Amino acid sequence: MSDFYEVGPAEPVVISTRVDKVSPKARREHNVRAAIVIAIAMFCLLPIFVMSMTAFKTRSDAVSAPPKLLFKPTLEGFVFLFTERALVPPARAQELLASDTTDLSLFERVALSSGQEITGPSDYVGRLKNSLIIAGVSTIFSVVLGFFAAYAFSRFDVPGKDDLMFFILSTRMLPAVVVTIPLFLMYRQFGLHDTYQGMILLYTVFNLSLAVWLLKGFIDEIPLEYEEAALVDGYSRIQAIFKIVLPQAMTGIAATVVFSLIFAWNEYAFALMLTSDKARTAPPTIATMLGRGGIEWSAIAAGSLGFLIPVAIVVFLLRDYLLRGVTFGAVRR
Amino acid sequence: MAQIELKQVEKLFGEKYAVKPMDLTINNGEFVCLLGPSGCGKTTTLRMISGLETASGGTILLDGENVTWHHPSDRDIAFVFQLYALYPHMTVRDNIAFPLQAEGMNKDDIDTRVSEVVDILRIGHMLKYKPGKLSGGDQQRVALARALVRRPKAFLMDEPLGALDAELRETMRAEIKALHIAQNATTVYVTHDQVEAMALSDRIVVMSAAEVQQVGTPAEVYYDPANLFVAGFIGSPGMNVLKGQLDGDVVRFLGNNNTLPLPARYRIPLLTTLDADKNVIVGFRPEAGTINADGSMQGEVYAVDMHGAYKLLHVNLGDVPDTHEPTIVHLRTDRMASNPMGSQLRFTVDPAMMRFFDPKSGKAILPSQTDQTDRQPVEVLSTTAEGQA
Amino acid sequence: MTAVQTQARTSNVQQQKRRRGLSDRAIINLFIWPTLLLLILWNAFPLFYSLFLSFTEYSAIARKEPVWVGLANYQDILTDPQMWKYFATTGRYALVTVGMQTLLGFGLALLVREKFKGSGLITTLILIPMMLSPVVVGLFWKLIYNPAFGFFNYLIMQTTPGKAPDMLAGTIARTPVPNLALWAVALVDIWMWTPFVMLLALSGLKAIPDYLYEAAVIDRASSWFQFRRITLPQVAPLLMIAVLFRTIEAFKGFDLVMGMTGGGPGDQTELIAVNLYRQAFQGQFRTGHASALAYIILIIIIAISNLYIRYLNGLREEG
Repeated sequence: MSDFYEVGPAEPVVISTRVDKVSPKARREHNVRAAIVIAIAMFCLLPIFVMSMTAFKTRSDAVSAPPKLLFKPTLEGFVFLFTERALVPPARAQELLASDTTDLSLFERVALSSGQEITGPSDYVGRLKNSLIIAGVSTIFSVVLGFFAAYAFSRFDVPGKDDLMFFILSTRMLPAVVVTIPLFLMYRQFGLHDTYQGMILLYTVFNLSLAVWLLKGFIDEIPLEYEEAALVDGYSRIQAIFKIVLPQAMTGIAATVVFSLIFAWNEYAFALMLTSDKARTAPPTIATMLGRGGIEWSAIAAGSLGFLIPVAIVVFLLRDYLLRGVTFGAVRR
Repeated sequence: MAQIELKQVEKLFGEKYAVKPMDLTINNGEFVCLLGPSGCGKTTTLRMISGLETASGGTILLDGENVTWHHPSDRDIAFVFQLYALYPHMTVRDNIAFPLQAEGMNKDDIDTRVSEVVDILRIGHMLKYKPGKLSGGDQQRVALARALVRRPKAFLMDEPLGALDAELRETMRAEIKALHIAQNATTVYVTHDQVEAMALSDRIVVMSAAEVQQVGTPAEVYYDPANLFVAGFIGSPGMNVLKGQLDGDVVRFLGNNNTLPLPARYRIPLLTTLDADKNVIVGFRPEAGTINADGSMQGEVYAVDMHGAYKLLHVNLGDVPDTHEPTIVHLRTDRMASNPMGSQLRFTVDPAMMRFFDPKSGKAILPSQTDQTDRQPVEVLSTTAEGQA
Repeated sequence: MTAVQTQARTSNVQQQKRRRGLSDRAIINLFIWPTLLLLILWNAFPLFYSLFLSFTEYSAIARKEPVWVGLANYQDILTDPQMWKYFATTGRYALVTVGMQTLLGFGLALLVREKFKGSGLITTLILIPMMLSPVVVGLFWKLIYNPAFGFFNYLIMQTTPGKAPDMLAGTIARTPVPNLALWAVALVDIWMWTPFVMLLALSGLKAIPDYLYEAAVIDRASSWFQFRRITLPQVAPLLMIAVLFRTIEAFKGFDLVMGMTGGGPGDQTELIAVNLYRQAFQGQFRTGHASALAYIILIIIIAISNLYIRYLNGLREEG
């Protein structure tokens, strides 16, 4: 320690830093801090780790007590998640497995080895498709509408701009339940209950406030001069938007797309209340899988994992925009 | 108050030198400016003295004590930042009291100390405001007050007036000067503004390209620049420099027929320093030239700048043969003098104001110490010149 | 330039002139109104409609028109001790979750503020929970909390059957423990949303200019003094945004609880939003009554937001 104040660190310091930050004490603190953060991160990710493990366990492994850390991975959970099955006599199952294996798909073999025969795809497949369609289309709508509105708010002197922007933000702060009751009645009245149109429109509106705020933030940062130059060069306003603003706003659009997708993809409350079957999305379905024929934990974990992976990828890709996204564009940096 | 000593202090960023090894002693009560263009390492040097930047090598002594690896708070120096660095969420009073509160001084003493510096800087009326509401000049006064209130061993100032407009800068410059005279505190002041450096300092450290070019009083760096960089950097415009060749008692300039007589005290040093080709660079300040119909220098007026009190003539001595670039020298003339563009003129250069540089190293060639009379044997005096070096 | 080219360019310019006939005014209307219309139809209109319903006796599944009952629904709710209990539960839940999230989130932000090797990746990993669907989160925490084969009991080394705590049933060794289930749910909420507070706090910390700390070091302030006098006041506004968002969420969120306990055991985890859902969409569909409750929640949320905005304005006026 005392050496340090006489001769300094062993290596010359070739980065820009304060003297006290290269002291042995600072280095120790730095390492301790890093260790604590890593420990906390591991702890935070433990549930996700447990779930990923469960997704590859057999039905019996999943509910073994104490929980098994070492097990033979299987796709059973995914089979149960995606298919409807019927029990087959064990002898028949053996026979089928032993016979010409090329006819059997991977899923069929997994099902047979647990003594079941696939009779068709599960509800979940249809619900997943609903989720994809509703989340996808509503995202496109909200980004397109949001982009134009954001452009107008960013570039024009819209009367009552601040109030309108606040109104747009405040719609997002409303508890879903306050608007759900009248929406429920409204949807029933106009035949939108349990329809794609109804859910798509709903999620479009749900994401619009985010889209407008987020995109306005991004468009605000595109210098006005480019468009003005285009206008002077004889382009129309609309041409200028498509040729100048749109390409430069691409990162903002990508961020908005992903945030909208995640919100629509994860949404549970509206889906639970405003759909029952035809347009029901995946989240309420996973929740109700608990009810049917005992708790199939590996299937639930498989479903959750399927839900988690795209989101995790997106979090990683979007880490720079995360803050803007979760605060509706209000907080930059 | 303190003496600051830098011994072979250097700073590397990666492989690149931000400050090449430098030696500097700043005496107790002295006001020293680090002057140079941006990126020359002057701010890094200042920050190394403060401990805000870690030195890559060398030793920093404060009153003889090695503080190279001391925490900035253990050095007892004050730092005034270019952008003031006032705490935006605190009132002016709290900003000034902050260093004292950090020491845990009792409230009454803090009040006394704060009111003292507030009186010195005449900022009593703004104590309850937050810094954001003040003008740049007032913010810098508060920053100065925060530095003064601690009665530190030394003051380090990093372009404290850089963010102010020209008029305010002049006022604040005078205030800092008055403050220094009253407090007589050791001060290191970083600036890129030579006028500021000239006006404030006891000594100037001219830096460029991570290296100290010259350390000297304002008069020394102006009249006796150590090298071509200092010659060109100090003064606006800088010193005129012309490539020439020593020819007996005159210097002949390249590309034209101009000559200047060689001042006697330079004769021996030049002969001992220059290569066989006798190439030399001659420098003289614009005010050293006088328009004179019998002058040995001749050229064409290229442009005329009116500066109010005087005129600055750009005179083309003739195009350089290879590049066809004009060879321009600046001359200062009376504001009433009429030298229209394109007219020819002749001028002389005050021999006392002529300086000579070695074209290879760019370094100044110093004159013989004593006023040498002509025609003394070369051999005898060359030893004297060597003895000097 | 050839004549043909010139001509082409002229006609092009004319075309553009015609297209530019779309005035700025028209563009503003064209761009903004679709968005506003959707928001009004899907948010503003339902808001007023539910205000109307809150003054009526009405059930969405009964074939009867709403009957005006004035303030009866509100009176009902505000005089019902059961409802006050739910509000109290929500308040407790909000206090604990938001408090812990703020503490832990800010602490974490302070830890990851200075970069170390791999800190970017670690920070990103920590952020994953808040991007997950609350239902999915609820479900797999249900698995983790399972008294027999859940990981939670395994971790706290309480695996003896019959003696192990069943967090979501609110029992330890089959003995009910008051509020255990509520704290179990709160723990999940804290797990899920601490990263959110961390994210906001982190951006607040990164926005504090380095020179303030340099000035403080020069002014010989200790680390603790720097934290108290610079870090805390500088980061406070963003930390307050996080607190506001999380508090609002505690009053309106119900999906986490629905996924884990459905309000049980008994009404231990019956948060006000859960109860609202139950009134509106289960059993009798007490639509009018539920609307009144929804409005009360809305008023609470507006009140909280207002307090916060006042606090922020206070900061600004001082500044």
